[in-house]
Amino acid sequence: MVNNMPLHDSNTVISTTRLTKTFGKLVAINDLNLEVMRGDVFGFLGPNGSGKTTTIRMLLGLIRPTAGRAILFGLDTAYQLPAILLRIGAIVETPTFYPYLSGLDNLRVVAANSGMVLGKANNRRFEEVLNIVELHVYGKLAYRKYSLGMKQRLGIAAALLIDPELVMLDEPTNGLDPSGMIEIRQLIRRLSSLGKTIFLSSHLLAEVQQVCNRVAILRKGNLVKQGDVKELLRERERVEVHIGQAEQTHSAFDVLRQSQDQGATWINNISIEQNKEGNPILLIDAPVARSAEINMLLAHNNLFAAEIHPREGNLEEVFLEATTPTSVPYMPNGIQRFAPAPAQAQSEEEKGATL
Amino acid sequence: MSSTPQTATEQAIPVLKRSDTVIMGRQDFLSVLLRSISGELYKIRRRAMPKILLLIAIIIMIIAFSFSVLAVAFSPSVSCTTDSNGKEYCIPKSQAAIQKQKEAASESLRLPSSLSMSISVINFIGTISLLILTGSIVGGEYATGTIRLMLTRGPTRAQFLLAKIGIVIICVLTTVFLLILVGIIVGALFNLTTGIAVDFSFFTGEWLFHAILYVLIAALGLSVYAMIAVCLATLGKTTAAGIAGALIWWFFESTLGGILIIVGALNKGPIGNLLQSIPDYFIGSNISALRDHQNQYLINGATQATSTTNTHDISDVHAIIVLVVYLVVFIGIAWWVNHQRDITN
Repeated sequence: MVNNMPLHDSNTVISTTRLTKTFGKLVAINDLNLEVMRGDVFGFLGPNGSGKTTTIRMLLGLIRPTAGRAILFGLDTAYQLPAILLRIGAIVETPTFYPYLSGLDNLRVVAANSGMVLGKANNRRFEEVLNIVELHVYGKLAYRKYSLGMKQRLGIAAALLIDPELVMLDEPTNGLDPSGMIEIRQLIRRLSSLGKTIFLSSHLLAEVQQVCNRVAILRKGNLVKQGDVKELLRERERVEVHIGQAEQTHSAFDVLRQSQDQGATWINNISIEQNKEGNPILLIDAPVARSAEINMLLAHNNLFAAEIHPREGNLEEVFLEATTPTSVPYMPNGIQRFAPAPAQAQSEEEKGATL
Repeated sequence: MSSTPQTATEQAIPVLKRSDTVIMGRQDFLSVLLRSISGELYKIRRRAMPKILLLIAIIIMIIAFSFSVLAVAFSPSVSCTTDSNGKEYCIPKSQAAIQKQKEAASESLRLPSSLSMSISVINFIGTISLLILTGSIVGGEYATGTIRLMLTRGPTRAQFLLAKIGIVIICVLTTVFLLILVGIIVGALFNLTTGIAVDFSFFTGEWLFHAILYVLIAALGLSVYAMIAVCLATLGKTTAAGIAGALIWWFFESTLGGILIIVGALNKGPIGNLLQSIPDYFIGSNISALRDHQNQYLINGATQATSTTNTHDISDVHAIIVLVVYLVVFIGIAWWVNHQRDITN
């Protein structure tokens, strides 16, 4: 479990300290210490029921924490929530609006409740945000006639209405088609380039990997990973060796395992996978800079690699590693997978173990 | 919520400049509240439901006044008596008697009686309409999930609730004044068919003062029931809870009041007295008492004032205290629940 307390400085937009929420006996969020800096595009990840939405709700004052504090913009949500909310634009789950009003009228109502002046003074802003989400043509259409994607876009328009410093998006691409998702990604990048801080909760890991610079991963209410995306991916970087024959690949595995036992501590883990063609691949969890040494080691044992190249880590692997209790150990005649063995997973869950 | 106070070392991060196209208003408590009420008004104006409810109320008001016209039109011009043999004798009434009969039958079409007639109609259809509207205004936010949207924009939960109460009071006052105006105009128009002239000798400064009080009391009565709808819709998180709960309360209060008085009258002694005194603490009884006291001035003038209901023993002070207690309890519960509640699914 990641338990380092967040450092609070003038660039910390979100800082939670031991934030906890319980519903009866259920601990939805446990001692959450989160830190989001100004300008971050922060990915907030976790399986269903891990507590992402509960956290967002606590940050927005919809749910009161059982313990701990949430400081946004240096202000405590327990005491200065209205001042905080005037600096945030948020979508919490599927956005909901008044079905009997048009999209534009809904924005007017939201504006009236967001501290914006009434009347025609903000008409230009309404046009702007509807243009951003490409709903300007449908502004006068009743909300009840909107498709799911259009509703999601209107939610984003409402979130951007006050030109907030922090945009909190809870699954913003739900209901959007691929082109809509790309647009949202572009929008997030554009907002980030304008100095906005983005707090993005999503299940789409590829999406998060492309747009976020920092991530936090939750599992069962516990923060299991938090950090820079590049660093996390670097941790997952491995050396991929193609030898060709299955027999030779297993021999290479044994050679490397032997070296590991003899003191090559830079080799963390070795596994064998199959590529698309069904050929075995040796995966070595070691710094890419050691590729030449690996090659030499194999060559000394008359094992010649056809290809050696780095395999970049991806967020999916980081996520699965963080959210599943353990991985399957190597099986000599089979393939190692990162999925947990059910019995072991259960046992780790019972212990409350975190990665 | 966390009980740790904010430390002095924590400083708010400076606010970034917003886009020039975003025009923010004042952020003091009252300005935020007034904008929230304006937002509520905007929603009401764009909804079909309030207009339909008002139209139904107006139609019922017209129907109620048309009964008086029918009473005039079908008033008998002969007086019939039956002798000891069971034989009926009818003799035509004098012109003066017919005129007097018409005047009596059509009295509710003309001021000041048309005001009382309008209020009576409002007490029925106005209450039903407003309870439906109030339940929808408050419970609808939970039912559609827009409560999340509203509570993450800036106004506090207290401002959110006050805005709801504000819009309900605006709806009550608008409904009462509009329906009274419709009632008086419809009555005056129907009165033209009777050919009886309106005598405005009652219209004095004192009468106007009591008329205003009378109307405000009617609005207060509707407001108290509306606050039940606010409270129950907040508790139940649904429109149906607000509407059904308040309507059931309104209906059973009048039914139960009648039953208790009858049962109390049958049981002489302390238990009977206790049962008979219970309705004195009902909303309807106290509103009726306040209204009757003002009605005496409007219809008969202060000197000839007589009570027309069984609420004669409820004083104005008693009635006001009881109604204030109801308001405090209902608004207090709604405020507490709204303040404490976690907004989940």
